Amino acid sequence: MSRQASGLKAWVVQRVTAVYLGLFATYLALVFLVLTPADHAALLAWVRAPLVTLGLLLFIPVLLAHAWVGIRDVYMDYINAIGARVVALALTAFVLLGAGLWAMQAIILAQLH
Amino acid sequence: MKISVYRYHPETDSKPHMQTFEIEERPGMMLREALLEIKVQDETFAFRHSCGEGVCGSDGMNVNGRNCLACITPIAELKQPIEVRPFPGRPVVRDLVVDMSQFYEQYRNVQPYLVRKDPLPEQEILQSPADREKLDGLYECILCGCCSTSCPSFWWNPDKFHGPAALLQSWRFLADSRDQATDERLDDLEGPYKLFRCHTIMNCVEVCPKGLNPTKAIGHIKDLMLERSV
Repeated sequence: MSRQASGLKAWVVQRVTAVYLGLFATYLALVFLVLTPADHAALLAWVRAPLVTLGLLLFIPVLLAHAWVGIRDVYMDYINAIGARVVALALTAFVLLGAGLWAMQAIILAQLH
Repeated sequence: MKISVYRYHPETDSKPHMQTFEIEERPGMMLREALLEIKVQDETFAFRHSCGEGVCGSDGMNVNGRNCLACITPIAELKQPIEVRPFPGRPVVRDLVVDMSQFYEQYRNVQPYLVRKDPLPEQEILQSPADREKLDGLYECILCGCCSTSCPSFWWNPDKFHGPAALLQSWRFLADSRDQATDERLDDLEGPYKLFRCHTIMNCVEVCPKGLNPTKAIGHIKDLMLERSV
């Protein structure tokens, strides 16, 4: 097992993160469809509410972990050449990490405005 | 009635083609009988078959895009013109005959037999009726291969993913109260390929001619793995 990518762990991570993503995405949809923030200031006020900040900060790594397992699965299924797979995995990891860090700093900066 | 069959003879054909035959339909006719009629018309046509009643699992093939056993598939239930092809994803040996080596290799990999560590008793190993019942829906598999060859995960990774048929048998022995190699069996299944390539697509359940449910068995294996790891 030491030579292998994870099987059970990845599967559990994806299932567990799906629960949080499902709940939080529903909340996000409700906020933006029903209680739509009127302007930028209202949006900032919403982000700054402590529970929302916490929820968002948690949402990002959870989303990234979920996406990573999902995309890794797609590559394992469809990309057979090992070189191409490693490149695809590396690029995906950079994009996910970059997007995640950028989203994190946006949430943190919102606290300082 | 028209039946279009996949033809490929590696020694004479550069590539496969479909050939249409005209068959006289009889009431209650099964597809296997129609294929035998084709063989009367053209004796070079090759397909595997044996018992003719869905027990041996020899005549699995892809009919109108769906895997089935020809011997228990009534012609009357098929949309015409009927299109018969070999199992998808398997190397074709000739016409409808495919090479199932990888399928059997995966079956071998799950150690489909009881493993005992205790000394064997003088007589049989007893099992309660309730424990015996746990094997229902598992032991009936005839290894025809309809499920594994309809599974996209098995198409992409037939060398690494065990496939639904082998995993159903894996659970058949994990669920057996007489087996004593649960931990070893679970350890062998770890990693992203052997078990976890299953994405619950459920083509296997859809096509199983015996009405078995490999997806459910795979779910049980994952649950047991989780139970034993936390």
